[in-house]
Parts: sequence; structure tokens; C-alpha cells
Amino acid sequence: MNLIDADKLTDLAATLAAAGYRVVAPVRDEDAVRLKVWSPGAVIETATIPVNSAKEFLFPPSEVIGRYALDGGDFTSQEVRADPPRTVLLAVRPCDVAGLAVLDAVFNWECRDTFYNARRAATTIIALVCPTSDAECFCTSVGGAPDSTRGADAVLQSADGGRRFVLSPVTEKGAAILKAAGSTLAEGHARIDPPASVSERFDAVAVTEWLGANFESPLWQEWGLACLGCGACTHVCPTCHCFDLQDEATRREAVRLRNWDSCALALFTAHAGGHNPRPTQTERRRQRVMHKFRYFPERFGILACTGCGRCGRLCPAGVTMCEACCKIAEAAKAAKADAK
Amino acid sequence: MDLIAGLRTDAAALLSDGRAKLVIGYRAVPGQGGKERAPVFVTDPARVDVLVYDASCRQNLAAYLKKPEVRARSPVAVVAPPPVMRSIVLLAAESQITDATVVVLGVGEGVYHGVLDIAQTAALLRGKYADLAPPATLVREIERIAAMTAEERAAFWTARFARCIRCYACRAACPLCYCTRCIVEKNVPQWISSAAAGHGNYAWNIIRAFHLAGRCTLCGACEAACPQGIPIMLLNVLAAEEATRDFDARPGYDPAEKPVIGSWNPDDKADFIK
Repeated sequence: MNLIDADKLTDLAATLAAAGYRVVAPVRDEDAVRLKVWSPGAVIETATIPVNSAKEFLFPPSEVIGRYALDGGDFTSQEVRADPPRTVLLAVRPCDVAGLAVLDAVFNWECRDTFYNARRAATTIIALVCPTSDAECFCTSVGGAPDSTRGADAVLQSADGGRRFVLSPVTEKGAAILKAAGSTLAEGHARIDPPASVSERFDAVAVTEWLGANFESPLWQEWGLACLGCGACTHVCPTCHCFDLQDEATRREAVRLRNWDSCALALFTAHAGGHNPRPTQTERRRQRVMHKFRYFPERFGILACTGCGRCGRLCPAGVTMCEACCKIAEAAKAAKADAK
Repeated sequence: MDLIAGLRTDAAALLSDGRAKLVIGYRAVPGQGGKERAPVFVTDPARVDVLVYDASCRQNLAAYLKKPEVRARSPVAVVAPPPVMRSIVLLAAESQITDATVVVLGVGEGVYHGVLDIAQTAALLRGKYADLAPPATLVREIERIAAMTAEERAAFWTARFARCIRCYACRAACPLCYCTRCIVEKNVPQWISSAAAGHGNYAWNIIRAFHLAGRCTLCGACEAACPQGIPIMLLNVLAAEEATRDFDARPGYDPAEKPVIGSWNPDDKADFIK
């Protein structure tokens, strides 16, 4: 077993950073824990689920994907190379790792996205078997588990009552991390702690089924009312991947930006002519649930929700994906009972 | 009358006799959810028992008054603690709502103020809640930042604005950000860079603070909604203090008051305007 004392994760981050990796880890940031690029002095905290998801390190909120030199009425296109830094996602939760499977599917769908895939190839994932969970967690309702190691290159497990971690490689990339970690890790034996428990809250199969028959349910209006349309849920979601392209120019140069966008926002579907096929929050809220639990599984065979609970933790209006799914599962059950 | 009983009785009466088609209030979140309170929308007088009010009810429900699907259900009754009452009075002062569209169900700490129209709401605020001051911790933080050197202040704000992901949750949660087309979304010309970085982030956060100067009623909804922990209220309190000091702004206390940002005075003490 490769062991590291619980308070020495920072040393591991420092060693990997010195070996040339960009290290992303859950660190204390004033009164919150966020996934951030580790820098000397940052304190790694594994007990709290970070506010943000890991997606921003593969698919950033804004990135330049095109560059043009302007000369009077003429322009010259300049190459923008995807040249991402070698990155380690250190101690990210299984729900975050599961989110990357959704991004992998969509960014390799009709075209292979150069920028995403370059970052993905340069990334090594060290998953943390969840030592803790909270009331918003529902991974077990969407096919995940607090101790899932699917998609990880290496796995970090709490051991000896939280005093150390065991780091186990899964892939070659993971083995390379262990090698780079060198003497930060010690060989030895430890008793692995049980993972956090997350109770199953709803039947996702029933949710997907109900959505197929209830595009016009009055429930959407009820949920649409409470939604402020702020989009915070989509921004912290590990799987939401919609973006907007914006060209911004000065007299001398222009850039093509890819910015995160959100189906919660009115402008997302606003047409140039003024029509909006999703005129109110009712349609927008429905789209978010439909996309995650109906359209995405139809197209790619996986749910686009990993049960991380970030949307619920963050929503200023108390709207949560878990509560919506619980109500849908109840409605599905009631409909089945009526049919009998 | 008891707060909860009074609130529910009046809400049911308003819905029954048509003085309101919709009541927006707070509910207790069932089960094991992380948040204790969430907004609830009641249209059926038989369902008013879901309404609660206590100190955990912090969301500013006046933000819903800008949603078209809520406005379509006017008149709307809003459960309003003092910060929400101020938002409502200010929205009336800015001609966004009238007595025909909004009814106030006034609540305070352990007290129920009953069904109020906008003038009564303003009178109650002036009488009982005239001295709503920003939290002392915020005031101390502003003093701490004011004592910094310009370089230190720049570093402080650069680090915080760098977090902004331009989701605009602050704007969505604010009852006063009701523009149908926000300046940040105008791209002919592009006034503010849309990139979640650098000067665009600075411009967005500063411009929003400016647009709220003398209007913000300090409810804190923007900061509570921000997923990135940007201390937005530092800017808002600072701007509010300046608007009060220099322009006697007391937003949200008088529905006939002209908003500082939307009015001018030929006798202005500064002479650039003449």
C-alpha cells in the first residue's frame, strides 16, 4: 500500500507541482472549499464537497478559440493552438469524475473538440473515495456511488480513521503520478475506512420514463415559478456543457471566445427576430430536467446528472434537481397505481 | 394575531376574494435538504398552510415581481419582511409596480403587520424600520479596505473579480435588476467584454454597483446568490453610503421619491451640470 498522512496531501501537491504538473485540488478559499489550481500555501480540504465542479479545468468558463489580425477592411486568421498544461485533478469526488464521461461523450459527438480533448489527454484523475457526504448528495440514485472508481487514473482512500490516505494506481497515467510523488508516499499497511453512505432517493428509470410522456405536465409551471433564471446551477454542474460563441474586436485584432452559456437564461434561446421558443422559466426549467434525464440518455446511453447535489446546495431559490426527480418518481408511481 | 396564523388567514382571504391571484411566500423544505426555507407559490386558498415565516427566510421574494409568468398572475401578494418591503416601495417609486399589481403581507421578527398597500408599507418602514443599517461586519470590512493603499485595494478586488464566472446570478436574484436587456448583453457595440476574465469582470461588477447606487436596499440577495463568493455587498454598501451622504438618498422608504440615478436637479451642488 502507498500511504500518505492525511495532513501531508499538501506535500503531495507540492511534489507534483515541482514535477511540472498543474495541480487542481479542493482548497480552503475564505469561507468555502473550492477546486482551484493549487499554489504554495493553499490548504487542501477533503471533508467538504467543493462548491464548483472539476469541469472548468477541462472546459473553462471563457477561452479564446480563434484569433484574427485586422488591417483596415482585411483580416488574417491566426492559429490558436490547444497547448494545455499537464494537469492532475487531485482528490476529486466520484461524482465529478462521472461528469467527465458526459463531457467526453458530447465533445466527441459530431466533431472532436480540439481544445477539450487536448486538455482531457493532458489530465490525470486522482479520485477521492468520498469520506463524507451531505444532505444534497444523491449519486446512488443516478448510478453512482461514493466509492465508485470508474474513470479514475488513481484512487485516494481514507484510512486508519482519517489519519492517512491510501493511494492506489488504476491506469498507467495513475502509475506515473505515483512515480512522480516519490518519497511523499510511504510503503506500509493501513485499514481502509468505510466510504460515506448516500441513500437512494428516487428511481431514475421511472423518471426517464415519466419525462417521455409528460412534456406538458402542470408540474413544470409550478417549478418554473420558483426558478429565478440565474444559471448558477448550470455553472457549477459537472456535466452542463452549453456554450456561446462571441466575437470581440478592437481596431487591430479580434478574438473568437467560447463562453459558458446556460439554458436557465432567457437569451439562451432568443432568436434574432425576437421570437423565443422558451419564453418563460417553465420551459427553461423543463429543458434542464429533460436534457439530463431524457434527451442525453436517449442519445448517449448515460444520464447527464451525477447526483453531486451542487445545484441544490447553491440555488438561491431552493430549487433542486433531487427534489424535482423525487416528485417525478412519485408522480410516476401514482400514475402506475391509477392505471392498475 | 399570531404571525403564522395571521399570515395564513390573510393569504387565504386575499386568494378567496380575488384581491390576489398568487401569494408568494416561504415554505419549510421537507426532508433532509440543505436549505431550510424556499419560496412557495400559492394560488389555492386551501393550500395556505404551507406558508411559514421566521428568521431563516432570507430570500428577497420581490425578485419574482420581474418575471413575466408572475406578472401575468397579478395581483400578486408577497410575504415581505422589511428588506423586501423596501424593494417593493422602491419598485413602486420606479413605476414597476402599483397597488393594482402587488399586495404586501408584512412580516417582521416574530410580528405580523397585516395586509398593506404600498403607501402603508412605506409608512410602516418609516415608522418602525427607519434605521435599517448594514451589518456591522460589513461596515468594518469597508473601513479595512478604505485604509488600504491603492495597490492593496486593487489587488483585493482583482483577486475577487477574477472569481466571477459571469453567470449573472447576482442580477437574477436582485429585484432591482429588471432591465429586459442588460448592458452586459448589448453587443452592438460590445460595451463590456463577455469573457469571464480581466477587465470584463471588473467592468461588469463595477457597472452593476453603479446602477444600484442610491437604489440598493441592501437586502443581500446578490451576494447570497453568487456561486463564487464575491463580496458584492461591500460595493453596494459603499455606493449606498455615498448616495446617502451626497444625495440624501433613502431608497425604499417613499414611493414618490425620485431615484438618484434617474433624476437630476438644476440646483445640484456640483457645477459640472450647469
